Amino acid sequence: MTLNETIKFIKMKIKESLKQDGVKASVNSKMPLIGNDSALDSMMLIGLCLALEDRARDEFEFDWTSETAMSKSRSMFRSVHSLAEEFIKQQRAQQ
Amino acid sequence: MIVVTGATKGLGAAIVKRLTSKGHDMFGIARNTANLSVEGMSCDVSSYEQVKTVAQHLKKKGVTVDAVVNAAGIGSMNLAVTTPPAVTQNIIQTNLFGTIYCSQLFAPLMLRRKQGVIINFSTIAVALGLKGESIYTASKAGVEGFSRAFAREMADFNVRVNCIAPGPINTNLLKGVSDTQIQKIVSQQIIPKQFVPSDVCDLVELLVDKRARSLSGQVLNVGGS
Repeated sequence: MTLNETIKFIKMKIKESLKQDGVKASVNSKMPLIGNDSALDSMMLIGLCLALEDRARDEFEFDWTSETAMSKSRSMFRSVHSLAEEFIKQQRAQQ
Repeated sequence: MIVVTGATKGLGAAIVKRLTSKGHDMFGIARNTANLSVEGMSCDVSSYEQVKTVAQHLKKKGVTVDAVVNAAGIGSMNLAVTTPPAVTQNIIQTNLFGTIYCSQLFAPLMLRRKQGVIINFSTIAVALGLKGESIYTASKAGVEGFSRAFAREMADFNVRVNCIAPGPINTNLLKGVSDTQIQKIVSQQIIPKQFVPSDVCDLVELLVDKRARSLSGQVLNVGGS
């Protein structure tokens, strides 16, 4: 899976979640996934992580409880793009 | 499968024995697994990395985790002013951080199925504010606060989080505590009686059961406070 494919996948999953909850928000690569500016609630975020875990399953283990998930300044959840980058980074590290 | 920490000693061992006898598949965690009677792994719960290794092991095995019982803990009966910093650190690290680490790292194993139970251990000393147990009480008050908030975080995923807060149960944790002291504590309970490990096992059995589906974010004080 490439970075662009991962970004596309994440955006699609976010759109699905928001649609289910009747939330209208534009989804782009810079969209924050945590914090006050995020349109996602914690349940949507965990749902997104589980979807990425499923997506990775046959190739590698996606760890969303790592230090980069927790860190405020370096969190993988800073944006759609940073989450996709972390996903690709873990994919490459395990292949 | 039910995961129990502190599985080789005291209440943890009693819980493993009880739940095994009721037909549950058990996975025990303990620093020393020599006396472990079920499948399990060696792990010091105060180490985030060690707990994570166990969580990854369970995930890789693809086991279904139905419940996590955080029974690992240490005690210390000391006045706060005579407790060395290293002891304070150890108590907080094991009792509070250990419970937090196990909860946050094992919970993802239950989120996907939207079903699960987490049982944490506090003490009746939190409700009673017992003299000579201030550091221990502080660690367990943290466990209670964490459990109540974590219960709300997990509610959307149908994972129930509760605390059991025993009074002086006859285990190794009570070593060095005199009968007079025990009776003094027991007399402050609503039911002024010293309960035994099987009473705590009864509550664990209830909390892992579907019949407790309405209970989350609660602290069950054994003996009442």
